[in-house]
Amino acid sequence: MAEELIIETHGLVKRYGKLVAVNNLSLQVPRGAIYGFVGPNGAGKTTTMRILTTLITPTAGDAYVAGYSVVDYPREVRRAIGYMPDFFGVYDDMKVWEYLDFFAACYEIPERDRPGLINDLLALVDLSHRRDDMVEKLSRGMKQRLSLARTLAHDPEVLILDEPASGLDPRARIEIRELLVEMSRMGKTIFFSSHILADVAEICTHLGIIESGEMVAQGTVADIRRQLMPTREIQITLLGQVEQAKETLLHVEGVTGINDMPDDHGRRRIRVDFTGDDEGVSQLLFALSSRGIPVVNFAEETHDLETVFMRATKGIVS
Amino acid sequence: MTTQLGHAPQNGLRRRWGYLVDNPVFTKEIRGRMRGSRAFAVLTFYLVVLGAFTGLMYLAVAESSMSVSGQSNVGEIGRTLFVSIVAIEMLLVAFIAPAFTAGAISGEREHQTFDLLRTTLLSPVALVLGKLTSSMLYVLLLLLAAVPLQSIAFFFGGVAETEVILSFVILICTALLFSTIGIYFSARSHRTLSASVLTYVTATFFTFGLPVMIGGILVLFGFSPNNIQSTTTQLALLYILGGVLSTNPAATALLTQYVLLNQQTIGTFTYTLSGGETITLISPWIPFSVIYLTLTAIVFALAVHRVRQIEN
Repeated sequence: MAEELIIETHGLVKRYGKLVAVNNLSLQVPRGAIYGFVGPNGAGKTTTMRILTTLITPTAGDAYVAGYSVVDYPREVRRAIGYMPDFFGVYDDMKVWEYLDFFAACYEIPERDRPGLINDLLALVDLSHRRDDMVEKLSRGMKQRLSLARTLAHDPEVLILDEPASGLDPRARIEIRELLVEMSRMGKTIFFSSHILADVAEICTHLGIIESGEMVAQGTVADIRRQLMPTREIQITLLGQVEQAKETLLHVEGVTGINDMPDDHGRRRIRVDFTGDDEGVSQLLFALSSRGIPVVNFAEETHDLETVFMRATKGIVS
Repeated sequence: MTTQLGHAPQNGLRRRWGYLVDNPVFTKEIRGRMRGSRAFAVLTFYLVVLGAFTGLMYLAVAESSMSVSGQSNVGEIGRTLFVSIVAIEMLLVAFIAPAFTAGAISGEREHQTFDLLRTTLLSPVALVLGKLTSSMLYVLLLLLAAVPLQSIAFFFGGVAETEVILSFVILICTALLFSTIGIYFSARSHRTLSASVLTYVTATFFTFGLPVMIGGILVLFGFSPNNIQSTTTQLALLYILGGVLSTNPAATALLTQYVLLNQQTIGTFTYTLSGGETITLISPWIPFSVIYLTLTAIVFALAVHRVRQIEN
């Protein structure tokens, strides 16, 4: 599977004296992905991002963005990325449109192209009505959107966003998420860090789980689920004959365990750990109903990312 | 892949010219600085102070020159006024210019905007140049605004146009160097406060410290032209002294005026030593400008180097 990787690192290390912030990290972000970079606070997410955005030089290892080494070709890397740190740097006495004009100029966009570009960007993040307001007066959510607009000024291939939804109210978070999906549809690769898993789960195609500077798991969301949660869990609610049900199920191939669950309004519930495929799951149901066991509810539990995350990381914070 | 916005990547020379002419930092700084009433309040305050001081000087001089001869020596009034205005401007330039630039880089870090700048295509040279030119433009505004006051001196005579131009040159060179020093310290320091302090200390050294030191040394060694026997020593002393004084704006201004009045030149002139030999000396404003502009270039390069090295 020779997928084009737009971000890749090999054995990336960053040491600060005795502290190892990033330890032998190998990142693979395919072009066009929405890659969620998750991990506990202090895991090394920001440090990694700052290496990718040419703000810090690595102690060892290589990092490439859009094919360019961050150490040897920083200018080309900067041309290819749009970076949004997890804080909003405020300029005093600056209007919203002037903010975008300034950064567009910093990206060498010719003066004649800037007014049109600014209008387009403001429309994209829905800030056109605030173009003449002072930047420092914007709400936090608006500042994030403005920051996002800034990252798009030079039409980069990759967006590297550090906690883009941090500190936002639920509505603002959804708005940012929708913007990210929109930008992915525009053909951009989105690489963002978050510890709000709900955001990540909603939109990511790929995940990278980092802890204590090391990559714990990486790949498509489906791959990671399969990797970390190899058994399926099927919850069955029964009206009665629980012991017969258990007896029957234990004879089915692929069943690795049966646990009792709390009752649901007088109805007994059990959880079956199963390693078979979909065909096998329907066989389970058939096995029960063919013996006349009263099944009221039969459902596979799809694990949310939180459980996956909890299983993957040990909550170790450096 | 990515859509092009119709801009071709610029080659090196065009890009460098663009740093001066189409500098994003310059535009941003000017927009912010001239917004609201602050810039004009500073300008008004500056003109009021200058005007008040000039008025007082006039009264003082007119009074004294009248009482001496019964007839006012207008030329002297004009010259005194002119010198006072230039002196105040020199103080203001030496201490306002750093105020603008001491926060150039450290301010960006304090506002957490420096990292944003670093991930753009903005080069360190463009950043430093933009900060310098925007601050110099405001200093230029202040100096030009004082020209009408300076022209009052013309009414009294005793001041030539050449002096106005030369005073401008000396003031601009001073402002340039001190502004650049401000940017350098700003790049070195994490906080604007420490950068400001370092810049002011340096500015004070150049304007006050050095002459005081020289004066002290001279007094200490009891130098006077009569004590010196050998021509070579006299020569060396003249050149060294001249060189050192040429690093001080006030001394340069006064000496240049002295040379202009007594030798009628702003260029080279001859001077007779006590032994009878004649040597060629040069009006101080020339070595002053050369020294200050060279130092400016050096400090500018150091500042750019420092900015390049910043890694949080």
